[in-house]
Amino acid sequence: MYPQLKRGEVVANREIAPGIFLLGVRGKFAASPGQFYMLRAWELDPPLFRPMSVFALEEEAISFLYEVRGRGTGILSRLSPGEELLLLGPLGRGWDPPARPLALVAGGTGIAPIHFAAQIYGGDAFLGFRGKPYLVESFADWCRAVYVASETGEGGTKGLVTEIFRPEGYRTCFACGPEGMLRELYRLCSEAGVPLFVSVEERMACGLGACLGCAILTSRGPRRVCADGPVFPAEELWGDG
Amino acid sequence: MADLSVRIGEVALKNPVIAASGTFGFGAEYAPIFDPGILGGICSKGITREPREGNPPPRLWETPCGLLNSIGLENPGIEAFVREVLPRMLGLGTVVIVNIWGREPEEYVYMAERLDMTEAHVIELNLSCPNVPGAGLPGAVPEKVAAIVAAARAACGKPLWAKLPPEGDLIGAARAAAEAGASAVTVANTFRGMAIDIRSRRPVFSNVIGGLSGPAIKPLVLRAVYEVAKEVRVPVIGCGGIVGWEDAVEFIMAGAHAVQIGTGSFIDPLCIPKVIAGLGAFLEREGIGSLEEVRGCAH
Ligand SMILES: Cc1cc2nc3c(=O)[nH]c(=O)nc-3n(C[C@H](O)[C@H](O)[C@H](O)COP(=O)(O)OP(=O)(O)OC[C@H]3O[C@@H](n4cnc5c(N)ncnc54)[C@H](O)[C@@H]3O)c2cc1C
Ligand SMILES: Cc1cc2nc3c(=O)[nH]c(=O)nc-3n(C[C@H](O)[C@H](O)[C@H](O)COP(=O)(O)O)c2cc1C
Ligand code: FES
Repeated sequence: MYPQLKRGEVVANREIAPGIFLLGVRGKFAASPGQFYMLRAWELDPPLFRPMSVFALEEEAISFLYEVRGRGTGILSRLSPGEELLLLGPLGRGWDPPARPLALVAGGTGIAPIHFAAQIYGGDAFLGFRGKPYLVESFADWCRAVYVASETGEGGTKGLVTEIFRPEGYRTCFACGPEGMLRELYRLCSEAGVPLFVSVEERMACGLGACLGCAILTSRGPRRVCADGPVFPAEELWGDG
Repeated sequence: MADLSVRIGEVALKNPVIAASGTFGFGAEYAPIFDPGILGGICSKGITREPREGNPPPRLWETPCGLLNSIGLENPGIEAFVREVLPRMLGLGTVVIVNIWGREPEEYVYMAERLDMTEAHVIELNLSCPNVPGAGLPGAVPEKVAAIVAAARAACGKPLWAKLPPEGDLIGAARAAAEAGASAVTVANTFRGMAIDIRSRRPVFSNVIGGLSGPAIKPLVLRAVYEVAKEVRVPVIGCGGIVGWEDAVEFIMAGAHAVQIGTGSFIDPLCIPKVIAGLGAFLEREGIGSLEEVRGCAH
């Protein structure tokens, strides 16, 4: 699946929780779980596209789940149905088919790529939210079981997702979320001997592996998040080898 | 189809549009989007004598119409480049310009000698990378430019382009490069800039400064190209903030023989093919036979 630059038409762009939007785009797109697109809905400024993981893929549509953080996501949030945007993708290397049983762990907007992984691979989902949970029903369509934690206790167990997740019994774990959560997860998974594959974020310019702007240092040397990732074995990022 | 071909000293380019160093990988990364063979030339990422891991993240910081980068010359080193990367670049069907950076003149000499044994078409001496901790900007000082270019000139038979910073004694540096045997000067690399994270109260980059590129710098670089083209007899290659074909025409009218495009490809992945097509359409519409007819016409 080579990346392509395409125009897409917005079919829906709904605020499903405060500051969190679900964007649906009409068109024929490709992606495998963990891959992302670079999005753009403006002319010259801001100069860069915005990387977004694929939330869901259908025959004639693709969707993204994003939080409004700054200018780019602010512009995206004001798009109305019928308006167009540019999409560059699919990009990066996602999650390969796992050994089962599979645990899917997500925090915040980290649920975007984890949702797409659930759509393709199934598994048990562990979802963490700051406040009121969203899109939990959508996971129930694809997963064997869905466990929810929220920091306020709304709609789930009060606390962090790493407090409700136990790796024992799983043969693979996929995760996406804030770095603190992923590192704690790595501690839990390595103690239990469960391989953990995480999707990470870094600032990007080209998205194609050309500029080295997104590189991070791993145990295998510098790796480009856009082309070698965004999914990496957690061991390569935080292992002490 | 209009004739866009240009000559930069000893090398002929099919058109004046070149992918700028560090923004186009080693040429194949953009192949899913367009055929890199349509380019006039491709500059490699900056290569050093030994492999380099580059700077820790963040390496990029967006600014209004601009981009700060602090990559720190991550590259596989000259030996791995020559053996594993260069053969693939030479298969892309365009002129291959190898961008090299050294801490000392001896490092440039070492790499120039190594490249002399290859089929690479041009060596671009990067005298202007702002992103290596502890290294200065030799390109800002005419004597240092003269020393590096002369040493590289003696070490190889390839055409040498000297890539200068937009800061310092630019005219003096460009003259020194020409006199020491450079067949062209690339004007310019990025401007040194910085950004501060007001929450952590620290510079965003570990190396404090970064290089500013993109449309934000275009008027500054256009002025620099105009002045160098007036004062120096070797061809000038304009580089800085080009996004549309009109920008490229401005640089040519300011006196540039060719242009390089970097950040433009991040703004629009199809920037390069659009600029090439736009230049062709411009010549036909205006009834201009070749770019030479308008080169430097703004003087
Ligand atoms: C592979 C990948 C997948 C992502 N998937 C999602 C997703 O599904 N949902 C979601 O809400 N967010 C996702 N992000 C983060 C998202 O790209 C940023 O939140 C977004 O770029 C912020 O843009 P802005 O203009 O609103 O913010 P600003 O802070 O104004 O952006 C300034 C610059 O910094 C960059 N930037 C800022 N924060 C980030 C970040 N966390 N990661 C990368 N670049 C950043 C921007 O792209 C821009 O170039 C993903 C990031 C990556 C790398
Ligand atoms: C991410 C990035 C990496 C770069 N790496 C190099 C490099 O390795 N060697 C070099 O000579 N210039 C490097 N440059 C500078 C560009 O080649 C170019 O001179 C500069 O970006 C100005 O042109 P632009 O405004 O079209 O981008 C880099 C620029 C960027 C943005
Ligand atoms: S964003 Fe350019 S290499 Fe990853």
